[in-house]
Amino acid sequence: MNRQLARWAFCAILVAGLPGVGVLGSAALADEAPPVKLNSTADHSKFKELQKKLESGPDVTRACLSCHTEAAKQVHRTKHWKWEFLNPQNNQKLGKQHVLNNFCISISQNYPFCTGCHVGYGWKDKNFDFTVEENVDCLACHDTTGNYKKPAGLAGHPAYKPIESPPGSGKILQPPDLTKIAQKVGKTTRDTCGSCHFYGGGGDGVKHGDLDSSMAAPDKELDVHMDATGLDFTCGTCHSTSSHDVPGSRYKPTAIDKHDAHIRGKVGQGNPATCQACHGNTPHKEHPRLNAHAEKIACQTCHVPTFARGGVATKMSWDWSTAGRKGPDGKHMTKKDAKGHVIYDTRKGDFVLGENVKPEYRWFNGDITYTLLGDKVEKSDIATPINRIAGSPADGRSMIWPMKIMRGVQPFDPVNKTLVMPHTAGNDDIGYWKNLEWEKAIADGMKNMDAPFSGKVDFIKTEMYWPITHMVAPKENAVACAECHTADSRLKGISGIYMPSHSNKGWLDLLGWLAAAATLAGVLVHGAIRIVMSRRK
Amino acid sequence: MTFARTLTAAAALALLGVSFSAQAYDGDWKRGRVYYRSVCTSCHTSQSGHAFAPNEKTKAEWAAYLQADKHAKGKDTVKQYISKQYRASIKAQNKAAEKFADTPDQELFEDIKAFVTKGAKDGDSPAGCS
Amino acid sequence: MSANRIYVFQRFERFWHWSQAALIITMLITGFEVHGTYKLFGFEKAVNIHTIAAWTLIGLWVFAIFWHLTTGEWKQYVPTLKKVDAMIKYYALGIFTNAAHPFRATRLSKHNPLQRLAYLFVMLCIGPLIWFTGWFYLFYDAWNAWGVDKYLSLEWVAFFHTVAAFLMLTFLIAHLYLTTAGHTPTSHIKAMITGWEEVE
Repeated sequence: MNRQLARWAFCAILVAGLPGVGVLGSAALADEAPPVKLNSTADHSKFKELQKKLESGPDVTRACLSCHTEAAKQVHRTKHWKWEFLNPQNNQKLGKQHVLNNFCISISQNYPFCTGCHVGYGWKDKNFDFTVEENVDCLACHDTTGNYKKPAGLAGHPAYKPIESPPGSGKILQPPDLTKIAQKVGKTTRDTCGSCHFYGGGGDGVKHGDLDSSMAAPDKELDVHMDATGLDFTCGTCHSTSSHDVPGSRYKPTAIDKHDAHIRGKVGQGNPATCQACHGNTPHKEHPRLNAHAEKIACQTCHVPTFARGGVATKMSWDWSTAGRKGPDGKHMTKKDAKGHVIYDTRKGDFVLGENVKPEYRWFNGDITYTLLGDKVEKSDIATPINRIAGSPADGRSMIWPMKIMRGVQPFDPVNKTLVMPHTAGNDDIGYWKNLEWEKAIADGMKNMDAPFSGKVDFIKTEMYWPITHMVAPKENAVACAECHTADSRLKGISGIYMPSHSNKGWLDLLGWLAAAATLAGVLVHGAIRIVMSRRK
Repeated sequence: MTFARTLTAAAALALLGVSFSAQAYDGDWKRGRVYYRSVCTSCHTSQSGHAFAPNEKTKAEWAAYLQADKHAKGKDTVKQYISKQYRASIKAQNKAAEKFADTPDQELFEDIKAFVTKGAKDGDSPAGCS
Repeated sequence: MSANRIYVFQRFERFWHWSQAALIITMLITGFEVHGTYKLFGFEKAVNIHTIAAWTLIGLWVFAIFWHLTTGEWKQYVPTLKKVDAMIKYYALGIFTNAAHPFRATRLSKHNPLQRLAYLFVMLCIGPLIWFTGWFYLFYDAWNAWGVDKYLSLEWVAFFHTVAAFLMLTFLIAHLYLTTAGHTPTSHIKAMITGWEEVE
């Protein structure tokens, strides 16, 4: 009896004690720590909708939509979904569906590659159905694991089986665990936005110059706001989004923002992504003179001293006309510079890359006119603008903005005098990157757009404007006065401004110094005569 | 017989308790990334001239390395460089250490582990030094 | 000795003169750097020094105007053409032949007629031009608020400010030389330092 009691007592101690160790362990953690990641009221891993095997992207979306019933409809209305934007000012139909650029030129006939960055599944040709809700890709923006990848060529789908990516690289990409990823969804981060926007133009940092993978976890020197050890802004902190519609588009930028800092509840405050939306128009409390500067100069002009500062180079020019040269072995080749950047690729031509690039500066009022397919272009020494920016010192709504000006030489149709959209990517017998035949590639791309093509190919100089706005440096590193207020000014050539130390009138200086010199000579002669005369006495 | 059954029950409950506490924290690879880069990488770069990228080891190698807890060939420990004391000692010059000054050691350890596991040679997203 | 000296410059006047001289020279040096003529302090520092000197000079002038009004010394600058010809003749000829200085400083009339004219020109033309343009320069950020941005352009404000600066520089050169053209080469300078002018 006693023995049995003792046995029970022993067991009771064990039962009570052993988990006690575990509980203690966790209690010790909990005591020390502020609660982990309580930035959401929902732990998605606890939802039974997400506790089954999710086989495909649309599978995941169906699960999401079973609770977030309106989300896909919201996404359907956005630029991110339609890749289309109607500029209300000039009725130009823009967006990736319609524009050309001087990087990879256009998405026409390259859909499955380009749409690896579409917030959807299955946009493999122009017949994509934009009304299907389950084709919205929730994970592209809401993945928190960093493991959700949409390789080029799969029309926006992640890999569902191991694939070689990029093709021919020998690197095998394993399919991501969609269930696990779906269970961990959260708000957008620099990583999710960056998974496309850092890699625009086909590679890290290629397109923007102020957005590249170094901005995923930047330090303060690279970006004061997104500083991962400091303010740690996400993209959405400024591009504050509601109803899935992200504000602050480059297609219609806010070049001048006369609003005060935004106040909750006030309506009609405009673009939330401008500097002024938080800082107002007179942010320099101790230096009112700088506020005066801010009447004509965009904040970014001084506060983004250089772009591509994070160690990732950006493309500054791209010459398609030299593409097609093969190596001595008759195969495609690439040439690299001392830093290992590709500067020539048989499929693409010559590149110039830049790091720590000083922007160029232009008057800019936010109006942009694109040269679209079908618009007449004339070959000359002056580059054809892919996007023409408007602005002048006199229109009362322009500011001096920093720009990355991407310069290119790209194929065009010399008979119809239009830019062209070639079919480049793709493992077929048309795509330029595989076959290196412009005529065929362009004919295919143009046919897809129902655009005329003469069959003749020539090359034309183009340029494209990219307003610079990210990579805001700490104030100590802002552009110093003397970088503009000097003969060799950063703002050299900008009309309509008077800058002491830069914009002097030569003739005034000449007259002034002549007057001073004549006076000096006069008094010296006068004095000399006085001395000579007094010596004579 | 009863004893054995009771003991089994006790052990099961105990295990449940232990596994529950281990599950309570799920490493945050983004925090791990910041600490790894700003503390580990920056010190390795300035002190020894060689910073390890996560993709220089496999998941198993990282797990073994963190398990062994031997830093500088066993001269000291890895955990020591993740500890609150260490963070307090460098937080004047190191913003990541300052930011994570109050993060429990175990959490930060799990964060870093999550980052190197994810970024390992055979991890979900191999990460080089950038 | 004492019979040949008169007390022409009072303590405040001397203080005013020398601090004003220092400030104007400072502003000429920094001003021409801001203008882009040379690099010395660096643009930013030059602007800051120029601005501080400008505010200091404004303060000094407030005192000086008050002083001139209350003491009646403003009358020293009332222009006269009397003996101007004699002064010109003296500077052009007499000074070389050791002729007698045509002007005798007194307490009531310490500047010779040419000085009166020159200083009046400095104070009524160069001064206001430099002040007026300088103020607008300084308060460029307030043009909008004042509603003057439609009528003014920084380019022309800066132009006249620079014109005034060259006039001031020219005056300074002539003035420095003419300090040696007293009864003895150093008598004017001594007077400006001690207050006592030696007269014949």
